[in-house]
Amino acid sequence: MLSGRAAIAGVGATEFSKQSGRTELRLAAEAVWAALDDAGLSPADVDGMVTYSQDANQEIAVARETGVGELTFFSRVEYGGGAACGTVAHAAMAVATGLARTVVCYRAFNERSGRRFGRPDAGLGGEPTSQGLEMSWHVPFGLVTPAAWVAMFARRYMHAFGATSEDFGRVAVTMRRHAATNPAAWFHGRPITLEEHQTSRWIAEPLHLLDCCQESDGAVALVVTSAERARDLRHPPAVVAAAAQGSGAGQMMMTSYYRDDMTGLPEMSVVARRLWEMSGLSPADVQAAILYDHFTPFVLTQLEELGFCGRGEAPGFVRDEGIGLDGRLPVNPHGGQLGEAYIHGMNGIAEAVRQLRGSAANQLAGVTNVLVTAGTGVPTSGLVLSTG
Amino acid sequence: MPVRIEADAELPELALDLTPTLVVSTALATRDFTPVHHDPALARAQGSADIFLNILTTMGLVERFVTDWAGPRAVIERIDVRLGVPAYAGDRLSFSGAVASSEDGRVTVRVRGRVSLGDHATGTVTLRVPDDLPEEDG
Amino acid sequence: MTDPEMTAEELHELARGQADLGEVRGAPAPDPVNAPMIRHWQQAMGDTNPVYLATGVAPPAMAQVWTMPGPGERPDDGSPVTDVLAALDRHGCTGVVATNCEQTYHRYARLGERLTPATRFTDLAGPKRTALGVGFFATWTVTWYAEDGAPVAEMLFRVLKFRPSETGPTTPYPLRPAVNQDTRFFWDGVEQGELRIQACADCGALRHPPGPMCPVCRSVARTHTVATGRGVLYSYVVHHHPPVPGRETPFAVGVVELQEGVRIVGNVVDCPIDKLEVGMPLRVTFRRMDDRLVLPMWTPEEA
Repeated sequence: MLSGRAAIAGVGATEFSKQSGRTELRLAAEAVWAALDDAGLSPADVDGMVTYSQDANQEIAVARETGVGELTFFSRVEYGGGAACGTVAHAAMAVATGLARTVVCYRAFNERSGRRFGRPDAGLGGEPTSQGLEMSWHVPFGLVTPAAWVAMFARRYMHAFGATSEDFGRVAVTMRRHAATNPAAWFHGRPITLEEHQTSRWIAEPLHLLDCCQESDGAVALVVTSAERARDLRHPPAVVAAAAQGSGAGQMMMTSYYRDDMTGLPEMSVVARRLWEMSGLSPADVQAAILYDHFTPFVLTQLEELGFCGRGEAPGFVRDEGIGLDGRLPVNPHGGQLGEAYIHGMNGIAEAVRQLRGSAANQLAGVTNVLVTAGTGVPTSGLVLSTG
Repeated sequence: MPVRIEADAELPELALDLTPTLVVSTALATRDFTPVHHDPALARAQGSADIFLNILTTMGLVERFVTDWAGPRAVIERIDVRLGVPAYAGDRLSFSGAVASSEDGRVTVRVRGRVSLGDHATGTVTLRVPDDLPEEDG
Repeated sequence: MTDPEMTAEELHELARGQADLGEVRGAPAPDPVNAPMIRHWQQAMGDTNPVYLATGVAPPAMAQVWTMPGPGERPDDGSPVTDVLAALDRHGCTGVVATNCEQTYHRYARLGERLTPATRFTDLAGPKRTALGVGFFATWTVTWYAEDGAPVAEMLFRVLKFRPSETGPTTPYPLRPAVNQDTRFFWDGVEQGELRIQACADCGALRHPPGPMCPVCRSVARTHTVATGRGVLYSYVVHHHPPVPGRETPFAVGVVELQEGVRIVGNVVDCPIDKLEVGMPLRVTFRRMDDRLVLPMWTPEEA
C-alpha cells in the first residue's frame, strides 16, 4: 500500500506575477532550489524528477540547471492541470518502491507574459493524433478555450439543478476574500463583491470574467521522500495518506459531452473513491480542502463528487454552510487559483503542506488532514495529506 | 483538291491571331456586350489576363472552321463544344480536326481549338453533305 | 426573403423548384433575322461561306445572337436560371465559367422570321471540387421557336459557378478539423449535405464521435446512418472572449442530442442569443466555411 509511505518534505515557489521577466527554466530552477532549501536537502540528494504535460522545461534540463546529478526516476504525467497531484502520486510510488529516494515535482511557466493558456489555439485540431481528432469535433466550431469547454458543463448543471450565476459567484467571492489576506497572492488586498462578479463581462456564457482564474507567471516545486526520512528533516512532514489518478468511462481531454450525464465529474468520483478508501478517512475527517478552481462551476461539482454534499446540493452548501475560513469546509485558504495564482494546482499542494505545518498565511486551527484535487474536466488526480 | 470525308481524314488547320480587334468585333457581332470581351482594364480587374473570346464567337469559329473545309453545300446539324481555357487577346487560336465518322451523308467531325494555355474548345460537329459527294475545292 | 447563405441542400431545393417551372418563354427577338447582322457576323468571324446570304438563311451558330440583350439590358430576364445563379453568388460561388455549349439546329433560320427563346432549367450538380475551386454545375436549355411554333434551334448550356480559390472574398477558415480514415466519412457526408453517424455493422450501436473499433462489441466493421438532422439543445455556451480566429463574437456553440440518441457539438445559428434555451428543438444546416470545409450547424426548428 502507498498510504503513509511517502511525504512532502519541502515546498518552494517563486513570486507569482503577470511578468516574471525570467525564462521558464530559470523559474523552475529557482523553485526547485527553494524547495530543497525548505527541506534542508541538497541537489545531490535528488534522484527523481517529475513534472506534467505542457511544462516547457524537460526534467533533465531542470536537473542540469540545479546541479542534480544522476536520475533513477523521471516521469511526466499527462493531462495538464489534471496531473498536479499525479506528480506527487508518481513520486510517492517511486519512493515507496525504491526507484528513487528523493523526487522533485515542479511546475514553471510564464503563462501570462509568455504563451497564454486562455488564448485560442487554432492548431488544436490540426493533427490526426487521437487528441487532434478529439479536438476536431469541437475546435472547428470555435469551441477552443478552456473557459468555453467548462461553460458547456456549467450550463447543463444550471439547467439540471436550477443553479445560477450567483452560485458560481459565491465561489469566486470566497476565493478572493481568502487571497485578500494572503501576501503571496496576486489579488492580495483586492477582494470582490458578488455584484462585481455579476457585472464582470462575459467570457463564455454562463461564465463571467470573475468565474475564470487568472493567468500567472511563476513556479512551484515540491520535494517528496520517504515519510520516515521526512520526519528527520527541517519541517514536519506532510504525509501522503492517499494519492490517486482518475479517468472516467468515455473520457475526453476537456469535452466529455457524450457521457450519460454532463452534470458531474466522473473522473473526480474515481479519485474520491480511491482517496477515501486508501486513507481510511471520510469527508468529515478533513479540516480543509484544496479544490482546483480554474473555473468556479467545477468547485461546486467537486464538493458533490468528493462527498461533501449530495448531487445538486453544492450551491446550497456554499451559500448556507460555507467554504470560507469559518465555513463548514474551508476551501482554498490561500485564495486558490482564482485569488493566489494559477500554477496548475501546484501552489494548492504547497498550501496544503503549509496548513499541515501550521505556517499558512490564513492558518486554520487543528489541521491534520487536507484534501487536494487537481484539474477538473480533464483526467485528474488527488491527494490526502496528513500530519504525522 | 477534293475534300476527303472518310473517317480519320484531317481538316486543314485554321489559325487565328486573336487581335483585340478580332475579340471585340466578334463580341459585338454576336451582340455580347459583357465588358470582359471589350474592356481590358475591367477584364484584368476581374482576374483575367486580358479581354477574351466570348462563347458565341467560339461557336461561330468552330462552325466556320468546319464549313471552310466542307463547303457551302454542307448543312450543320449540331455543334457540341466543351469549353476549356480562355482565349485571350494576343494569343493564337489554332483549330485542328478530323472526320470521326461518315455514313449516309452524315459526317461527324472532331474539333479541337488550342491556345497557348491549352485547349480552348474541344468537341464535335455533325453535318450533312446532301449529295454524299466529295466537295471540290477551287 | 431568400436566406443570404443558402446551404447546398437549399440550393438544390431552389434548383428543383426552378426546374419544375418547365420551359419559360422569353421575349421575342427585337429584330427579325436579317442580312445586315448576318453580314456583320460573317465579316467579324472571317466566314466567307456564300451560302447564307445567297439562299436567305442565317448561319446556324447565330441562333443565340438574335435574342441577345443589348448593353444595359438585364440578361435572362424572367428566365428560371437567374434566381439559381444569384443564389449561387450569395453562396460565395461568385466565379463563373462556361463548360459546355451544345447546339442542335433543326433547320437554318430564314430571313424575315422572328425567333422567340424559351428557357428550361434542367440541373444543378455539386458542390464539386474543381481546379478553380469548389462549385456547382448549373445546366439549362434554350429553344428558339419560329412564329409557327416549330423549334428552329436548341442549346444546352452548362456553367460552373465556383468559389474562387485564389482571389476573392474567401480566405481559408483557420479552425480546421484533423481528418483520418476513421473520420473521413463524416466530413465527406457534410460536404454532401448529410449528417452521418457511425454505426457498428455488427451490433448496430450508434456512436459519435466515431472511432475505429466498436467499444460495445469489438467489431471493426463500420457503417454509418444518415441522421434525420433533428435534435434538441442539450447544453450551450455563448463565446464572447477572447477573439477566435475565423469567428465573429459572440457566437453560440451547442451540444445537440440527436433524435437517434447520440450527441454532437455544433454552432447554433439563425437564433438570437437570448432565445437560446436548453431543450429547444433544432435541425441541422450545412454551412460552407471555405472551398474545402463545410460544417454542420444547428438552427431552430420552426414550430
